[in-house]
Amino acid sequence: GVFAHLAMLEAQAHEAAVKQEEKEQQEEKLARLKARVQELRAQRDELRAKVDQQQKGQLGKEGVVSDPAQPSARAVVEWNIKRIKAMLQVFYLTGISGKLTKRGVCFCISTAYEGTYLGSYHLDLLTKPEEVQIHRHSIPIFIPLEQIATKYLQTDIRRFLAVLSDHLNAYVGRRYQADQLQEHFSNQIEGTLQRNSLCNLLVFNYNVSKKSQTFPFNARLLYGDLCCSLPTEVIVSCTPDAPASLAARAAAHSDAFRRVALHKAFRSFGSAAES
Amino acid sequence: MDETVAEYIRRTVLKIPRDEIKTMLEKWGFLSETQLQTVNFHQIKENISLDVVQLCEENSADIKQAAVLDIIYNHIYPNKRVWSVYQMNKRGEEMEFFDLTDFKKKFKRRLRSALKNVTINFREYEDNAIWIRIAWGTPYTKPNQYKTSYAVYHSQTPYVFISASVLRSNLPLLCQALVVASNYHDIREMELRSHSLNSLKDIVFKRYSQNFQTYYPRPLQERNVALESADPRIVQESRNEKERIQRVNREVFGDGPQPKLEFAQYKLETMFKSDPKMDVLDKKEPFRCLVKFSSPHLLESLKSLAPAGMADAPLSPLLTCIPQKARNYFKIREKKGFFPGSFVSP
Repeated sequence: GVFAHLAMLEAQAHEAAVKQEEKEQQEEKLARLKARVQELRAQRDELRAKVDQQQKGQLGKEGVVSDPAQPSARAVVEWNIKRIKAMLQVFYLTGISGKLTKRGVCFCISTAYEGTYLGSYHLDLLTKPEEVQIHRHSIPIFIPLEQIATKYLQTDIRRFLAVLSDHLNAYVGRRYQADQLQEHFSNQIEGTLQRNSLCNLLVFNYNVSKKSQTFPFNARLLYGDLCCSLPTEVIVSCTPDAPASLAARAAAHSDAFRRVALHKAFRSFGSAAES
Repeated sequence: MDETVAEYIRRTVLKIPRDEIKTMLEKWGFLSETQLQTVNFHQIKENISLDVVQLCEENSADIKQAAVLDIIYNHIYPNKRVWSVYQMNKRGEEMEFFDLTDFKKKFKRRLRSALKNVTINFREYEDNAIWIRIAWGTPYTKPNQYKTSYAVYHSQTPYVFISASVLRSNLPLLCQALVVASNYHDIREMELRSHSLNSLKDIVFKRYSQNFQTYYPRPLQERNVALESADPRIVQESRNEKERIQRVNREVFGDGPQPKLEFAQYKLETMFKSDPKMDVLDKKEPFRCLVKFSSPHLLESLKSLAPAGMADAPLSPLLTCIPQKARNYFKIREKKGFFPGSFVSP
């Protein structure tokens, strides 16, 4: 009866007190947040004023702007992007660049010959704990990739990439020279150049004057070193019925082919013939 | 001029589309400019072919020249034949100089020592491709010019592309001659076949577009163009999913055009997995089944499956590994633990 009623009243009072406390806490929180809002608004206004001032300062003609030691965030980001791009360009220009992938590294080998960019090739490597594996690649099939990999891939990746890059650069160099010869001196060569996929054996009949109808010289260039874009062996012969003056040039030609690029050698023949 | 040669030239000219006949004859170079000018290339093909034969008669064409015309035709229209890829192996590591004259000499000598009655012709092209045409005879009959095999070989590579004729019995002779001439030790047929010779080359020479991750800046175009509709009332509900599919597809197939294959064939020798209570098969034998995908352009159609919503991305590696594994014939056997790549048998 009475005790129960008292207990109930006590419980009600307790509930009311709790509610009151909650309410007070909420009001407190609200007040705090309101103050924070005021604070942030003040900060925002301050920054806005600064930005305005800076812009006005940049447009204005007279003297020192707001704060030269504090560049805008945008300028910093732009400078960073420029710096990273330059870095990537440097890597790209060295010829070998790489990017980490989920399972390994993807390398890009760029090739060039005497200042002319000649294309890039890719190698996707998987770096497993026991070994490095070639997952995919776009290396031409006639480059001895497997042999180079067997020798160096597991033990010395840097050397592997360097040797592969040498092979590729030399190949594109030889191919470029042959293409240049075919393109610029086609009237001095009989038919088309006989070559092979690696461009390591070139055979052709040629003459030194643009007007002649015969091709008394025969050249056979062997490129024994696949990492080199100059031939290791040159055989220049002349047809037996050619004038002696012409035949005497064969040795000079042979020497030129051994020392300089193919199309440059041809150019030198031309000028020598005219002089 | 031999009547058979005349007839052969006539039939070859008839195969060429009328608008292309003049260009092809010019490429052939056997008839002079003045001779070609006497032919009316606007009349019906039947008459053009007769005129051409008449001119060839004047120049006394023999089978060698006629064969060259056939090679030129097949080089311009290689997709009319089915090509298989063969791979050669060599044990040594010596670098080869590959002399073309040497190759031709060795090839002819080897083939002729096995079978005298053959017509062999070569033609080289600028991409270092050597086209070899062989017309087969028997020990007792002259070569039949209508039963020809073609082999295309790029120097210093281990691959040969062969379009055999109906006489498959001559294939071993051809293979032997190729191995000897190119200084390799043996040769085997790969599980890769197509009408498109250039696509086969792209696959084995790794000239097809593979998506390599590089820092080389790629243009950011076409990222969302397809998804942005002109009408603002249309909302793309599953835009994220669409973008994910595009991205995954691009990673797998690359950006460029796919090599052209007409089919992929999967021979299954796996156990039929059914509810044990159903017990469909009494004996536990592999359930033999052949799945063949056909298409005018199989890889492009596979590439468009996920974006079209017809398949989940990424596609099964059994389909996407085709260019990288350089095969479109597969045999799939049972193995413990299902892992698609590992039990595809050579």
